[in-house]
Amino acid sequence: MVLQVTKTNNANYQTVISVGIDIGTTTTQIVVSRITIMNTAPGSSVPRMEITDKEVLYRSQIYFTPLKDHHIIDADAVAQIVLREYRVAGLTPEQVDTGAVIVTGETAKKENAKKIAESMAGLAGDFVVATAGVNLESVLAGKGSGAAAHSRDKHCITLNIDVGGGTSNIAVFKNGQVIETACINIGGHLIEVERQGDMITYIAEPARAILRECGLSWQVGDRPGLDEFISAARLMAKSIIESITSGDISPITGELLMTPPLKLDYRVDSIMFSGGVADMIYGDSRPVSVSQISEYGDIGPLLGWAVRDELAAAGIVPEKPGETIRATVIGAGAHSVDISGSTITVDEAALPIRNVTVVSPFVKGVPEAGGEITAAVHLAAQRIISDGSAQYVAFAMDGPAEISFAAVQELAQGIAQGAADFISKDKPLIVVVEKDCAKILGQCLKIILGEKGEIVCIDQVVVGEGDYIDIGKPIMGGRVVPVVVKTLVFENTATRKD
Amino acid sequence: MAAESQMEQLIVENVMKELAKRGLTGNVSPNQEETTKKAARPQPKSEPYRESGDDPLTIPEITGIWVPNPENIEAIKVMKQATPARIGLYRAGARPKTGAMLKFMADHAQAMDAVFLDVSEEFLQRMNLFLVDTMAQDKEEFLKRPELGRKLSPEGERIIKEKCEKNPQVQIIVVDGLSSSSIEANVPDVLPALTQGLTAAGIRVGTPFFIRNGRVGVQDHVGKVLNAEVVVSLIGERPGLVTADSMSAYIIYSPNEKTVEADRTVFSNIHRGGTPPAEAGAHLVDVLKRILKAKASGMKLNQ
Repeated sequence: MVLQVTKTNNANYQTVISVGIDIGTTTTQIVVSRITIMNTAPGSSVPRMEITDKEVLYRSQIYFTPLKDHHIIDADAVAQIVLREYRVAGLTPEQVDTGAVIVTGETAKKENAKKIAESMAGLAGDFVVATAGVNLESVLAGKGSGAAAHSRDKHCITLNIDVGGGTSNIAVFKNGQVIETACINIGGHLIEVERQGDMITYIAEPARAILRECGLSWQVGDRPGLDEFISAARLMAKSIIESITSGDISPITGELLMTPPLKLDYRVDSIMFSGGVADMIYGDSRPVSVSQISEYGDIGPLLGWAVRDELAAAGIVPEKPGETIRATVIGAGAHSVDISGSTITVDEAALPIRNVTVVSPFVKGVPEAGGEITAAVHLAAQRIISDGSAQYVAFAMDGPAEISFAAVQELAQGIAQGAADFISKDKPLIVVVEKDCAKILGQCLKIILGEKGEIVCIDQVVVGEGDYIDIGKPIMGGRVVPVVVKTLVFENTATRKD
Repeated sequence: MAAESQMEQLIVENVMKELAKRGLTGNVSPNQEETTKKAARPQPKSEPYRESGDDPLTIPEITGIWVPNPENIEAIKVMKQATPARIGLYRAGARPKTGAMLKFMADHAQAMDAVFLDVSEEFLQRMNLFLVDTMAQDKEEFLKRPELGRKLSPEGERIIKEKCEKNPQVQIIVVDGLSSSSIEANVPDVLPALTQGLTAAGIRVGTPFFIRNGRVGVQDHVGKVLNAEVVVSLIGERPGLVTADSMSAYIIYSPNEKTVEADRTVFSNIHRGGTPPAEAGAHLVDVLKRILKAKASGMKLNQ
């Protein structure tokens, strides 16, 4: 099968090719999607570019993630998979406009995970970005499974839980927007079993906690009976259900949560399961023997059955997702990239820029007085300079209380003065505003800075302190830029309860 | 006619007698006829309508959701956020509720005001814009005779010849069109943003001024008189019930006798709820650069 990568490019309609690569605990997959961006404003209005369609063009085979041992990912083998799938798809890295590589679940804990993600990103295309983080993984899975769209279409709150090989990633969506994420270290591949056999070949660290709680002292090489497998799977399933329902959290669930638990101070309307284990949750198989459940070399099928049983006991009827095992990779491929507002100011030569550290100089909105703006921006810039780690910095803000010319001029003046030490020829001034005012703010900044430095001023992107963003080269006749927000904002929203 | 007024008088007399019987009008005086006539006459309407006492009528907010026990309040919230249309306000029988009706009438009144009121002198002074008239003598003539709003008065032509810089690359004019209030709401942000951007790009900008009772086509006349390469009109749009403050920018490259409507580039919907005026000003700078480079506007620019 050769993929016909057709692209359209004019000022009002453009398609971009986006790839997603997910290197998970159990499986590695690739998808290719086509994202359509259109000017949705009538001809007589200022253009408004929007992503109007996301179509998955190609789904790779599902590979077992190649590992050298239980600590190291086999980089060469992963690269071979990527190259092979590109060849099969008839795709070259030059044709790829954007996308994301994500290393997920237990694999993210491997020693060379970060390096792999970055090198695969380079291999896959010019603006394919490396992403990580359990919360981002949760969001991408929920978008890929269709939970985000479900909540938007039905105007409800939809919780998606992606039960994979190593982790179960939870994201809650309200009207299409993520409101909470969490992650628990439970998955179907934490205990590996001889394929079609009954001998245990590997027990991952988090599974030891489960076994301890069940009073089981399995060792690699043991051949436990079906009832012992069932008791371990049941406890895992109970923990999963506890993590997505309100009520007390048992010590073992607390121990396995990798994030603070969900607050759940709202009513969840639908629950969706995705991930490799989900197929078993929506299926109707029953475990009859260990050799029957070990067809994938792990306890995944049994965990799926146990979750289905626990759901029935709790009286929960799960909603069917659009995607199960491919949810995360589709999330990475089709849902990782977004676009900026349509009236922006960018020096094209400064782009693309990756791994821009976001700082929010203003805690409570932009102050009115120019002096206060300067001081706050200066403080934020100093913090970054003294830290020394960040190469590129974006100053993020919601924008002036009222977008008047005078207020924007004042803001530009304050930013330019406050960030003066930070701007140089090879470091553009990057400003990200929420409100639609990047064109005029950029114009004012350009006039103030003159030849001192390049400017990237974009709007209608919501980011916060501690996020990282990647900004691509302008598209749609230079009107918008692709933006990938690698948010970490959910990490610190609550204190861990364990 | 005579029969009608006789009937009217009869009704009024009967009502007054009835009221008198119930002791609601005090004594029935001998000149009862006089009193009833006086009461039947309509009261003078010089006072603004007041609901009760001295409080002026407050216009109800319609941002809330008035549907009792909605099935899915979240869905209504999202829908309300997606549109300024009057939804989620429930009903009284088959009709709007009083609050919704009052707001509708207030918005309509505001739209009427936008058309009929003039841009204030104080505003023009603050923006440093001088005023010229079109051939239309007043608002009424302006509304009835569209062609008069497309031409400057001889006096207006004389003034701009005298006061304006000739042969500019870009001539900006502010025209009231059908909404004076949109001019006062948006020009203070669009004009400086536009002028700043053009000047920074090294583009020669002419002397801006204000045209009263003007229509879009008046830009052709101005362009010809001042020999401007491009004319930009910031003009008030026909007001609607969502906003009375929406402004458009019409741009024409080198207008002449052969100019047709399709030659104009237009950006509409400039107001706080649409494209913010300061942002629109900066966007217009880009558009004008493109027009100057292509030496064309309107459909010719898109070819």
